[in-house]
Amino acid sequence: MALVTLQETTLAHGRGRHRHVVLDSISLALQPGERVALLGRSGAGKSTLLEALRGELGNAAAWCPQGQGLVGALSVYHNVYMGRLERTSTWRNLRNLLRPEHHAWEAVAELCTLLGIGELLRRPVEQLSGGQRSRVAIARALYQARPHFLGDEPIASVDPHQGARLLRLITERHGMCLIALHQRELALTHFDRVIGIEQGRIALDEPTSDLTLEQLDALYRPWTPASPG
Amino acid sequence: MRSTVPGRPRPLADLLASNRLGRLNRVALGMIALTLILLPAADLSITVRDPWAELQRMTGGLLTPAFSQLSAPLEAIGLTVAFALWGVALGLLAGIPLTLLFHRSRLIRGLCAALRAVHELFWALLFLQVFGTSAITALAAIAVPFAGIFAKVFAEILNQLDPAPASALPRGTGRLSRFLYVEWPQARAQLLAYIRYRFECAMRSSLLLGFVGLPTLGFHLESAFRQGRYHEAGAELLIFYLLIAGLPWWGHRRLLWLLLPLSGWLLGPWPEIDPSLAWRFVSQDIWPPPLLAGDPAGLVQWWSRLPALGPAIGNTLLLALMGTAGTLLVALALWPLVCRHFNGPVRRWLGAGALIVLRSTPEFLFAFVLLLLTGPSMLPAWIALALHNGALIAFLVARQADELSPGLPGIRGLDLYCWELLPRIFPGLLALVCYRAEVIMRETAILGILGVATLGFQIDAAFAWLHFDTALLLLIITCLLNLAVDALSRRLRPERSLTAASCDSPGPPA
Repeated sequence: MALVTLQETTLAHGRGRHRHVVLDSISLALQPGERVALLGRSGAGKSTLLEALRGELGNAAAWCPQGQGLVGALSVYHNVYMGRLERTSTWRNLRNLLRPEHHAWEAVAELCTLLGIGELLRRPVEQLSGGQRSRVAIARALYQARPHFLGDEPIASVDPHQGARLLRLITERHGMCLIALHQRELALTHFDRVIGIEQGRIALDEPTSDLTLEQLDALYRPWTPASPG
Repeated sequence: MRSTVPGRPRPLADLLASNRLGRLNRVALGMIALTLILLPAADLSITVRDPWAELQRMTGGLLTPAFSQLSAPLEAIGLTVAFALWGVALGLLAGIPLTLLFHRSRLIRGLCAALRAVHELFWALLFLQVFGTSAITALAAIAVPFAGIFAKVFAEILNQLDPAPASALPRGTGRLSRFLYVEWPQARAQLLAYIRYRFECAMRSSLLLGFVGLPTLGFHLESAFRQGRYHEAGAELLIFYLLIAGLPWWGHRRLLWLLLPLSGWLLGPWPEIDPSLAWRFVSQDIWPPPLLAGDPAGLVQWWSRLPALGPAIGNTLLLALMGTAGTLLVALALWPLVCRHFNGPVRRWLGAGALIVLRSTPEFLFAFVLLLLTGPSMLPAWIALALHNGALIAFLVARQADELSPGLPGIRGLDLYCWELLPRIFPGLLALVCYRAEVIMRETAILGILGVATLGFQIDAAFAWLHFDTALLLLIITCLLNLAVDALSRRLRPERSLTAASCDSPGPPA
């Protein structure tokens, strides 16, 4: 039984005259427990696909968006805390903003230590480096403690060694993981399956055991877009 | 499209003909032409016998303020500040929930527009009937329209934030939690700056509340002016300007925790409200009796006994049009006074001083003073509207011009004005004038309280005669007119990414 299925679904932005089809009539099924890497050039439609799946899975999947979507003026602790904002009352959220709650602080501190940002809990996010921010965004997604995980380039701005460690942390804690990334080597070593998107369609959908690095490179070859019409 | 003759340069003709500015110029020229056509219909008479002698006496008095003649300055200052401070605080208390619902409900947007469209002084006249000359009237008169204004401007500010953090939140996050964690931290500086600007507006409103009988500085100012005690009026005006100029210091965020409770203590004694009388006012007094009795024939008769609406509405619209066109011309003429391209530092400081005084004086007070010299016609109202709003816009436009650097070397004076700077700042200037049209419309209506024949005159009269049903109808008409003018100016103004917040406020202090 598949966890989520798309059957000849067309994903588009905008309406009417401004409608722009990103992915045309795609089909795919994701199984529970599967670790899936999503590859493709920038702008190929990875984010659109992930957004659509987020809509299907709702709060069953932790969400780590592209560009992190952190609130710069708030501390690392508060940004991570936001992962569970919907589970506590507004009143408690307000109190926690003024004075961090003991339990939540402990939980967030433990998670952040694991991710190597344990020292930065009180630091406003706007003062952090790109790599540190990525880890805050991952911490926020892990703090959500959902059965599944959807990530849009969560490890884009960390080095490959760190990236491998972070991927392990993510996949250990979730059933199905669908993660967009550009590091092809990591896709082969840390995932069960690769979905490749090219020119508005799914160009590749194979178990990693059948794939080689060259096949993945093909997804990134230059192509000339058809003239819009 | 006309082609320009090569050879002799004609900057203004080119400006008018150029495609980009074509629509803007049609709006501006159309407005000025319409004003000129309708001008004969406006009552611009001077009915005071010797205005120049009075002006001389007034200027003499204002320039030699006498602080010793003030009756109770500290109490009046305290109340002016207390009303403004608590009015803004209550306005925020109501405005923030409205902000959070603003984009969800058309009903809320309509409600906010209606709250904004009625001027603080009209709200005061309405609340006076129930709460008398008490702090409740003053606070409600400021807080109610401010709630609508805060809701609209805050919603616009929040709308322009980066949407990424909000969309990263888990589904089902409460609206208030989203505001606290995502929107407030991101928009904090902008929201605080706007609240600070609104506090300055509230100080002006608080002053004006004196004109309908609340014991603020305006109350003493009005009687001093009316009785010709110009030395005392000069002292009170000076105190008011100093209060406004000193706002960044005494109104500092850190002092608020001290100011709020201290000034709150001044607000008492609280009136005793008879609930049955208040209920009677709301359920009976403000409605036409035939409507409550279900008598259609009586309603027709009631309608025929109303004061003549046509001339009042016509005068209100005409004065608003004249005020807007006048604002445009004054702004065009005054901005070079404070622009670095035309002045050295000394002249710029003098210009800035003059413009700040014009800007800090509420139109209503300005019109009141001029009216003492000319008698109740549209002339003082027109001058006051044009000078106050023109000065405000001139200031903003000059800041914009300061950032430009002329491309042609050695260009100066009128050439610099026409060729280099005006074409670049004109769209912004016109956008500001269009935004301001709504404010001018609001002010136009209340100038009637001073005796100018706009809707406010009839509203004030209806309240004086205790014809609350008539007053409410006129208030609703005023409100609808204001909404219509707002919609019109929204259509005419240049489509630029100017938010109401950025042009409604005078910006960071220069």
